[in-house]
Amino acid sequence: MPQKSGERERCVTGIEGLDTILYGGIPRANTILLTGSCGTGKTSLALEFLIHGAMKNENSLFVSVTENSEKLLTNIIPYRFFDKGLIKSGRLVFVDLPIMYERLGMTKPELSMEEIDLLVAAIGSLAKELGAKRLVVDSITSVCYKLKTSEKIRDFILNLGKVLSDQNCTSVLVGEVPATSTAYSSFGVEEALPDGIILMANMERRGDLLRTLQVIKMRGTMHSRAKYVLDLTPMGVLLVPLLKGGSTG
Amino acid sequence: MKFTSIGIPALDEHLGGGILKGSTVLVIGTPGSGTEFFAKQFASAGQEAVTYFTSTERDEDILNVMREYGWRTDLKIVNVGTRYYESVLAKKLEISRFRQEGVTLGDIRKFRDEDSMKEANFLTFLSYEISKLDPPFRVVINSLDFFLENYESSEVLMAMRTIKSHTQHSESVTLMTMLKGVHESKIQSSVEDLADVILELDREKAGHEFKKYIMVEKVRNKPAMVGIIPCVYDKTGIKPAP
Repeated sequence: MPQKSGERERCVTGIEGLDTILYGGIPRANTILLTGSCGTGKTSLALEFLIHGAMKNENSLFVSVTENSEKLLTNIIPYRFFDKGLIKSGRLVFVDLPIMYERLGMTKPELSMEEIDLLVAAIGSLAKELGAKRLVVDSITSVCYKLKTSEKIRDFILNLGKVLSDQNCTSVLVGEVPATSTAYSSFGVEEALPDGIILMANMERRGDLLRTLQVIKMRGTMHSRAKYVLDLTPMGVLLVPLLKGGSTG
Repeated sequence: MKFTSIGIPALDEHLGGGILKGSTVLVIGTPGSGTEFFAKQFASAGQEAVTYFTSTERDEDILNVMREYGWRTDLKIVNVGTRYYESVLAKKLEISRFRQEGVTLGDIRKFRDEDSMKEANFLTFLSYEISKLDPPFRVVINSLDFFLENYESSEVLMAMRTIKSHTQHSESVTLMTMLKGVHESKIQSSVEDLADVILELDREKAGHEFKKYIMVEKVRNKPAMVGIIPCVYDKTGIKPAP
């Protein structure tokens, strides 16, 4: 993507429709919140973002919080473009955050402020060691359960965003919200902090449950705010505009 | 023979022949009262194979006392204390290193298939080790205080009940030591409740010296046997005063 003067360099997600919505990709080094209720395709989208990065020789790190990453890999959509060699070569790395908690002696249900700084530093130094240009935390909400207070959540997300941004790493924090929620985040504070929010949702239409995607906010670029219908296919995520009253879906 | 020795022949006599096989004995006392010493004398007695669990002493210290008094030294010593402090200390050191230097990918991958980082539960370890013993066995647990300090009291009590019933069914004997007056009275009472025999070692200042006593506080179903026995320590160990 040729860089226009004064415009920020882009991290091309490789998800075609999404790059179009974002006028070329996520502004590099942004930290964005990818949020939605369960089954909306957050993990698949985040994973695809990393795979495309690894294919372009950008080291990519998936920090799994909720699910054991080995299990996650067995459930991965059999993307036609996904080459397991990316994992072997170390371009795409999966790390389970619970193991980091354990190594750092953070086994108590709630982390102290000092421990949050240590955790951020540890994730930052791991990203640095790997030279990660793309990072996903799935999910940030699970980390928030260990932080509990808004101050701590704020502290964690702000500092994590800063550490990763300083390394020119583009990060996607996956957030979970209850299906009935109209908010963008479970704890209410996460959503105010990132540089961007992508909302994924389920939408019922004519007896069909559609997945939708909508970019709510994205600093550093213009973007469409329209709702798109998302399809998870072995070719990757496909996005088409949701036509109001049209025959799509 | 339904009896086995408690370690002090004269006390065995007082108890009508010894302690019943299957008994769990609790010996309590304030620090310095000699409960640890009594534990070794208990270990020296009987025909059973001895397993001595310790949380406070070095193996060598135990054997030295046994040798000094001419008691058996063929006991199996399981040093829970050493294991505990080694694993806890090792883990603490490792955590401080990770906190200081960060966690590398190598560190994360390293222990993947092992649970070496997982803190062992020594209470489970104790119960498991005892469950593996061939009956009849003679077990010494010195002391319960270690477990009560490190684990939830309800868990400790549950483990003690398991050990007690295993001791009972296998016609073996188990001795537990516990400090007096450091645990909540509810916990102390619960431990006392599950013991079949309770001895308390006590002393009293008389002039320039201590008068020592073994107080037989409980003998299950034999309330007539409780009593206070003055005692002395000599080169054979502890015994009732002449």
